[in-house]
Amino acid sequence: MEQGMRFADILASLIHDMKNSLWMVINTLEACTADPQPGADPDKIFTLQQEAKRLNTNLIELLTLYKIENERISPNIEELNIADFLEELVLENQATAKARRVSLNWECDPALSGYFDEGLIRGVANSLIGNGMRYTADNLLLSAAEEEGYLVIRVEDDGNGFPPEMLAAQDAIDNHAVLAEGRTQLGIYFAGMVAKMHRNKKKEGYVRLTNGHSLKGGCFSICLP
Amino acid sequence: MANFNFKRHEIESKVFLVVDDFGDMRGMLRSMLNSIGVGEIDTAVNGKEAIEALEQKRYDVILCDYNLGPGKNGQHVLEEARHRQLIGLDAVFVMITAENTREMVMGAVEYEPDSYLTKPFSKDLLKARLEKLVLKRQDLQAVETAVSAQDYESAVRMLDEKISTKPKNLGELTKQKAEILYRAGEYAQASAVYEKVLSVREMPWARLGLGKIFYATGRLQEAAILFEGLLQENQRFTAAYDWLARALESQSRGREAQEVLQRAVTLSPKAILRQKALGELAMKNGDNKAAEQALSQAVALGHNSVYKAPAIYANLARVKSRNGNGLEGLKILDNMEKEFSGSDASQLHAAMAKGVIHQNLGDEEEAGTWMCRAGELYQSIGSQVSADLTLDMARSYGELGQLDNAQSMLKHLVRNNHSDQELLLRVETLAGELTLTADPKNFVSEIRREIVKLNNKGVEMAKAGQLNEAVVLFGEAVAAMPGNKVVNLNAARVMIINMRESGIERDQLIKVRELLDRVRTMEPENHALRRVQAMYQDLIKSVV
Repeated sequence: MEQGMRFADILASLIHDMKNSLWMVINTLEACTADPQPGADPDKIFTLQQEAKRLNTNLIELLTLYKIENERISPNIEELNIADFLEELVLENQATAKARRVSLNWECDPALSGYFDEGLIRGVANSLIGNGMRYTADNLLLSAAEEEGYLVIRVEDDGNGFPPEMLAAQDAIDNHAVLAEGRTQLGIYFAGMVAKMHRNKKKEGYVRLTNGHSLKGGCFSICLP
Repeated sequence: MANFNFKRHEIESKVFLVVDDFGDMRGMLRSMLNSIGVGEIDTAVNGKEAIEALEQKRYDVILCDYNLGPGKNGQHVLEEARHRQLIGLDAVFVMITAENTREMVMGAVEYEPDSYLTKPFSKDLLKARLEKLVLKRQDLQAVETAVSAQDYESAVRMLDEKISTKPKNLGELTKQKAEILYRAGEYAQASAVYEKVLSVREMPWARLGLGKIFYATGRLQEAAILFEGLLQENQRFTAAYDWLARALESQSRGREAQEVLQRAVTLSPKAILRQKALGELAMKNGDNKAAEQALSQAVALGHNSVYKAPAIYANLARVKSRNGNGLEGLKILDNMEKEFSGSDASQLHAAMAKGVIHQNLGDEEEAGTWMCRAGELYQSIGSQVSADLTLDMARSYGELGQLDNAQSMLKHLVRNNHSDQELLLRVETLAGELTLTADPKNFVSEIRREIVKLNNKGVEMAKAGQLNEAVVLFGEAVAAMPGNKVVNLNAARVMIINMRESGIERDQLIKVRELLDRVRTMEPENHALRRVQAMYQDLIKSVV
């Protein structure tokens, strides 16, 4: 226990430092795009920015997963206004979306509120938006609604949708074996774990993959009781 | 999006303080704020500088990193800023964190920031968040002002009005309302609010609130079970440890309480008030080794905290002496007097502890001299001396073998606080520890019975319409126990009723005000005080 905690503290402070560096990188690059130098290649700068953001999302996932595994974390459930939450997610990712020429929007009832751990779900949503950005054609939509006693937060795109094998295999997503299949799968695994940590009365959160919800591409739903 | 123009202007005109130990970060936050349109931005590189800046200038928004290197962290800055009222009730304090640190401090602290922002964030997000927070502060300013003036009725009324419009932050307002009702001692109403929340969804803050009400209403066993349940659900819910320990201690289960606090301290070793509580509890339990460890931590943490206090140093010195390190204890006391620049309280604490330590070192003469000095200082502080200080005096007298003095201190405490169960238990425990009497329970209950009898007699007289007699009786009781809040308030109450029946008398009116003022100085949040105050206001109004 003692040793485990020391390791976690070192891990947390290393990640803290790495995230500081990444923040500097991301913002310096943003300054470069705002004030382009002659001869600078905007596409290259953009790639750098994207990779830095991805690294940051990975670091958050890594730390969260570590904490879940070591039971150092319990969700801190708060009541949140969902419109505010989605609006902030869009603001956070708008620069990337613009650069990729993707239209990123949100829609939900302004009065809708939900109960969840803001930090955890924000991490999941950012990771899903990052994925969506890669698979979409030119549209990405965040939405939320209350359905059958669950708050359902959706990230949809208008790309080609999830491949049938993934839709078929989603009930086995908890299986560690799928981790080997790459980054997208890790994101889904992470989202599933975080959703599962949210409970109310006897219900437990879960995630769902479908195609063609309101846009024609993939639709990732996080369902929270 | 049209209304954003108005909001943007709000942010632009605010005065900002940015606190971060990294120059690059400060520069980046500054350039983010500049690009949002903020003109007036000051920066501080650590907690100490931040406090100095806050002392000199009124800031509207503080952006503070949680990690500030050695010295104060962001939470310390927040606590000191709010505790010392260095920032206004309309000021927004945003804590910037590297990851979700909320769980670490969840509910364990008195002051929470308006918001946490997790790095990295974009300027668009920062702007949107700040706009919301500034508006929210403005919206709640009247409520906060009422709360800080202890006008809880108005605060609750204002919150009810807001709640009836079903706003976005309904949950937050409900939580605030329940907390205010709890502080006002309206336990039935507060408990109804919590029950209603819990009927829809299990919310730890509501469950904790319910437990606090169990505790306040003497349902100690139920309280302990509830807090244990919360910890089973979430072992990092630090506030539940504190309350569980209190509930156990009040049931004379001191050892178990100590174990509970020890678990909490392992989880978050930096909470000074918890280290202090653990140290004091361990001292009572006679676990001097654990006490020394916790109190050393509390003293060390005090360097950065607004919660540092002479009592922590004095207890550490005493416990060092108990552990055979009297000389080290004396050094701590000299240090303390400097640290608190010779304040009355620090001198008194030092004198008491020095008396005890010299006694333990075998120098009875020196011990006697210091205890005499302590007695003088104690007298000079006057009737407004706290119960804790009187307990410390009694303990010091007892450890020096001056048992009569110790006993009269404890009698004085019981007479002045006969309805404070928690304190009575502490008196009983100390009387037992010092072996002042063969039967400490009886020692306390005998004095208590005497006062209860006197008090009841006066109340019955008043009920029977013998108001003049009741006024005389309570007048005598107040003279004998000027520190007894219940007696003071009952005296005021019968005088008010008397004047209501037979007309205002100037002398009695002045006396009533004196009694109320006295209780207010002793315990501004006393629930009965507020009721008698309302009676007094009605009386005055009826004359006008």
